[in-house]
Amino acid sequence: MNGFRKEFTTFSIVLMAVAIAINIGAGQIPRMVGLPLYLDSIGTVLVGVLVGPWAGALTGFLANVVWTLTGLYPQAIAWAGVAAIIGALAGVFGQSGWFKQWWKAGLGGLITGVIAAILSAPIAAYVFGGVTGSAGTDAIVAAFRASGYDALFSNVAQGTMSDPLDKMITFLVVWAVLLILPARLKARFSGK
Amino acid sequence: MAGNTLYIEKDSSLHRLHPLTKLSVTLFCLICAFTLPDLLWLLAVYLVILLPPAALGGLLRPFLKSCVTVMTPFVISLTLIQGFFTGGETILLEVGRFAFTAEGALAGLTAAARILLALGGALLLMLSTRPDRLMLAFTQRGLPNSLAYIVLTALQIFPSFQKRAQVILEAQQARGLETKVGVVGRMRLLLPLTGPLVLSSIVDVEARAMALEARAFSRPGRKTSLQVLYDSRGQRIMRFGLIVLSLGLIAARMWLIFYD
Repeated sequence: MNGFRKEFTTFSIVLMAVAIAINIGAGQIPRMVGLPLYLDSIGTVLVGVLVGPWAGALTGFLANVVWTLTGLYPQAIAWAGVAAIIGALAGVFGQSGWFKQWWKAGLGGLITGVIAAILSAPIAAYVFGGVTGSAGTDAIVAAFRASGYDALFSNVAQGTMSDPLDKMITFLVVWAVLLILPARLKARFSGK
Repeated sequence: MAGNTLYIEKDSSLHRLHPLTKLSVTLFCLICAFTLPDLLWLLAVYLVILLPPAALGGLLRPFLKSCVTVMTPFVISLTLIQGFFTGGETILLEVGRFAFTAEGALAGLTAAARILLALGGALLLMLSTRPDRLMLAFTQRGLPNSLAYIVLTALQIFPSFQKRAQVILEAQQARGLETKVGVVGRMRLLLPLTGPLVLSSIVDVEARAMALEARAFSRPGRKTSLQVLYDSRGQRIMRFGLIVLSLGLIAARMWLIFYD
């Protein structure tokens, strides 16, 4: 509980609110340049690394609550738990020093992506009847179903095709941002 | 704040209800969505529980519009995927070695109706409740103020972040950043676009934190709110009733699973 308390200062609370806005703002960049990525957890990962796993988890969870409230993506709240785990993992990797080298950060993102894919699949399979409601990913799910796999496997397979790459790029972006972040600001956080 | 969320300002009895009363309707719909057995039941609850309050709140058009926008891709994906891969007797259409069956299509539509009911319950709450009043209802029940602050601040500032991402793209293009490139080239674009967005916003954090501290943000103790929430005996009874009904539905569902 001590680590939990230490992570919540006025500064880190403001950072969490801003991080959620970063998630939403950065989440439209792949669409602007035409890449099939999400990139909607940069802020969450950043908080995890700068502040710690508890703060990362809370940011991920609340980010999905906010996505729902904006009406941009009302079903986001169903994945709030997965988003929390992504933030927590980023915090754990940050505390273990994985964000000091680019390849370790990338590897951490890859691992986080695989875990996220495995955790998201049952939600898509059981809550949403085996689809996500976006044409691209559902076409991939349909392709796996057509090859004879069941709903759960098809959703895991779809997830592992997009999530690890997406999270790896997210982690690498955060690694690069940390490099150029002024030391004066970094010193204000407990995680780094 | 209104433009950033689904909330639509109106003066109606639906809008005036205590946020927790509307939230209990949302949760009741969510539980109905995953316990009711078939399509007709699901649609009946949607028609009887959700549409009349939406009409009463003067929100019928936006309510239906949001439902259609979110549901269309789900209905298409679910009907196609379940129709082809669930299996059944009545074959409606054959494409190569795959058969589209009536039973599969019905399973797909039922899954879509479950999403529709859960979504509708959430939309009714969000269309008729100001986010700050919803958060106030939570903090009055013991949610830390800082959590409400995070959600409400994020809702207030995210549109300017979306604009900022657009401005950064235009600024980088003006400096000669080529955006009409192949996939590898587009990957290289990500850092010059996300980097400035993240850095410029982290610099903001400090100013915001100082402004909050100057206003005794982290001071312990009770805080007063500009908003006042009205509750009534009738609403308390209604919330209690909905919770009992929800628990009953879950119990009935469990009983069916274990004894059928």
